[in-house]
Amino acid sequence: MIKEIVLPDLGEGIESATISEVPLSAGEHVKKDDVLLVLESDKASMEIPSDYDGKITEVLVEEGKDVVTGEPLFKIEIQDSTKEEIEEETKKEDKTKEQTEVKVESKAVFEPNIARVGDDVFASPGVRRLARELGIDLRLIKGTGAKGRTTKEDLHSYIRIKMQEGSGLSKPPKKPIDFSQWGDIEYQKLTKVNKITGSRLQEAWQDIPHVTQHNSADITDLNDYRKKLKSEAEKEGIKITFLPFLMKASVLVLKEMIRFNSSLDENEENLIIKKYFHLGVAVDTPSGLMVPCVRDVDKKTIKELSEELADISQRARDKKLRPDELKGSTFTISSLGGIGGTAFSPIVNPPEVAILGVSKSEWKPVFDKNKKEFVPRFIMPFSLSYDHRVIDGASGAAFVERLSQTLENIDQFKE
Amino acid sequence: MSKTELVDIVVIGSGPGGYAAAFRAADLGQKVLMIDRDSDLGGVCLNRGCIPSKALLHISKVMSEASHLSTIGVSFSEPQIELDVVRDYKNKIVSRLSSGISQLANARKVKTIHGDASFISNNELVVKSESGDQTIAFKKCIIAVGSSSAMLPGLPEGNPSILTSKTALDLKDIPKNLLVVGGGVIGLELGQVYASLGSEVSVVEFLPSLIPGADQDIVKPLQRRLSKQFKSIMLSSKVVAVKETEGADLSVSIESKDGTEELRFEKILISIGRNPNTKQLNLGSTGIEVDDNNFIIVDEYQKTTVDNIFAIGDVAGNPMLAHKATHEGKVAAEVASGHPAAMDARVIPSVVYTHPEVAWVGLTELEAEEQGIPYEKGEFPWAASGKAMILDASQGKTKILFDPETKRVIGAAIVGPAAGDLISEACLAIEMGSDAEDVGLTIHPHPTLGETFAAASEMYTGTITDLYVPQKRGK
Repeated sequence: MIKEIVLPDLGEGIESATISEVPLSAGEHVKKDDVLLVLESDKASMEIPSDYDGKITEVLVEEGKDVVTGEPLFKIEIQDSTKEEIEEETKKEDKTKEQTEVKVESKAVFEPNIARVGDDVFASPGVRRLARELGIDLRLIKGTGAKGRTTKEDLHSYIRIKMQEGSGLSKPPKKPIDFSQWGDIEYQKLTKVNKITGSRLQEAWQDIPHVTQHNSADITDLNDYRKKLKSEAEKEGIKITFLPFLMKASVLVLKEMIRFNSSLDENEENLIIKKYFHLGVAVDTPSGLMVPCVRDVDKKTIKELSEELADISQRARDKKLRPDELKGSTFTISSLGGIGGTAFSPIVNPPEVAILGVSKSEWKPVFDKNKKEFVPRFIMPFSLSYDHRVIDGASGAAFVERLSQTLENIDQFKE
Repeated sequence: MSKTELVDIVVIGSGPGGYAAAFRAADLGQKVLMIDRDSDLGGVCLNRGCIPSKALLHISKVMSEASHLSTIGVSFSEPQIELDVVRDYKNKIVSRLSSGISQLANARKVKTIHGDASFISNNELVVKSESGDQTIAFKKCIIAVGSSSAMLPGLPEGNPSILTSKTALDLKDIPKNLLVVGGGVIGLELGQVYASLGSEVSVVEFLPSLIPGADQDIVKPLQRRLSKQFKSIMLSSKVVAVKETEGADLSVSIESKDGTEELRFEKILISIGRNPNTKQLNLGSTGIEVDDNNFIIVDEYQKTTVDNIFAIGDVAGNPMLAHKATHEGKVAAEVASGHPAAMDARVIPSVVYTHPEVAWVGLTELEAEEQGIPYEKGEFPWAASGKAMILDASQGKTKILFDPETKRVIGAAIVGPAAGDLISEACLAIEMGSDAEDVGLTIHPHPTLGETFAAASEMYTGTITDLYVPQKRGK
């Protein structure tokens, strides 16, 4: 049996990548999990493993070529499998099947409408089938074929239009400006990460009604505790920064105020509350802003989080992140505390509904009511931006207040 | 009990629906097991339905054509029937096709086992056979167990002179006379076979017309032919009693508005319809629901009321036709394999393979009148077709029903030789949403019977030149 291997979905935002290496040629045998291809996007370099044992019969791509998700890469002849292989394959296909089933479920809302379109729709059986596969309700399309027949072309252009609407590409082109008339200039090419984050940020900014709520926390005690932990952990070679504490504190508050750990569904009719706590962490890398995801923050210790953060941010800088490590976060933290500033308005990372921005902590005189005098305290300013469709102002204010209280009570961080 | 085997998809039944489902699912990468209670694959259609009956009808068609030749100057001697050879010819076709299915199954690594399947739960079934019981655990199941002949109540039990379509096709002997009970598709086809082979055939039909459900103008040419071939056609009549006699004959009481008549027949064929084979499946152990007629209830994905179990073909409802089963089988296999398929066919054609053939698809005039659906029609009598004249088929007719507003084809009916082949164009026209002009403006080869389809459309648009229709002439 000849199977065609196509480029898998590489993950959030990555629609295409450049092939940097094709280690195999036609006629060669591959084993399952052997590397078929090395791809380079500006976000990550990744290896595409083979799903099968077999013989490459045809190489459909070459080094330097840009490929998109779903594009065929190889044809591979699968040998008559032994029993175990069949079983393994079955298992794998089960997995993909489960995935498809999940997809089907998420489309369930449309299905009753499009399973059978009724006799009033003017389209051939092939077009009806394609519409069903694409999840398009044929009644929404005006056919351009003879006598108003809906054709496959009509389906394709319908999708094109929908995609353009979605990505904001339908804006009229801008006129070029010759800046050199006023002085020296230099062109710097945007990296792929720049472009992807650019369009995502614009989309977030346009789609989400943002509100930013500022507050500060007295982290004097917590900082002392961190230093203590830090010197202990240094012996094990672990560097304890402040970020893991912020993550733990955020999750403690998210658990209390679960609406902040949700997403709006695609029709904006339901709120999807997530019972897991994966935090996105904004990392500045040479090629641009990246937000890797740290999973199950509530189940990890400060030390574990410190180790994971060190690893993940290094790999982000080295472009070694796997696409799935950029997915699935439920809330994001962007810390500029190491650089400076007193407050800023972070942009929500969709489909999340809130983001925490942290500014630089400073020693400040704080009036102690008991002692009736000013005492020096280490104060951390922070800002919470949220999606006002999901979260009202009172909740926003309550969140920043609870976060502040949480950070001031160090007992919660002791393990 | 042998050990439980786990499969992705188990298909119960290897008829045209079952094997299509099994093979499609296997092609989509599933591990498939196909169960059939017979040792030969292919189900009723292949072993004791469509295929053997059409093999025999072929004989009766050629005989009737040969007898026509005698009227145009070419005479043969009277045909000699060697029943054993006829039966052999039929059996060979059947066994070749059946072993073909086995080969296709092997090529796809679809395992087949033989035995009676019944459910234990929504995920398990047991297959009982002479070699013992075997439990099968499945992720998905496709029920394709078909139907069996319905019997009249109160018949003498186990009498070999009472035939069903199955035993009639065994062609044990040619009875002197045969009563066909039920003037539907199966009864008329087999009646014609036996009449051609030398039986004196009578038909009794409860309703006032033959082939109830089809438009009578289309049935009439067949009925005229049959009234010559058959001894009698008793409409609006019913069999009230069948008694064994001292001799070999059966005594049958037939009641009509003129009273009750007692007649003697060597054999009688019961062809009053078919019942879905739901009873032996032990559906009670699953959540599968059936309707009042014991058909399994399915949705447009061929899914039963149990999410991982599908049903297709005769057992999933009317019309009980092989080509409907095949289509549904593929839909079920695709849905079960995670593909977004659905039963979205607009029409399913029906064909009576007698000589002449009768075929119809989509809306009939009967339905239109019953349901108040507006329609207009174009009819082309084959008397105006050169090809039909050559074939001694001037009695034939092609009729198309159109939507008065859009002029699209919404139904068609054809009577005459090869009507079953000709109706395919109507099916395509309806699925494609073709209108009268589309059909009429498509160049059809001449001289053929196929061109009568374009001609019927042109009768409607008024552009016909093979006939003169004064009242209606289109631009």
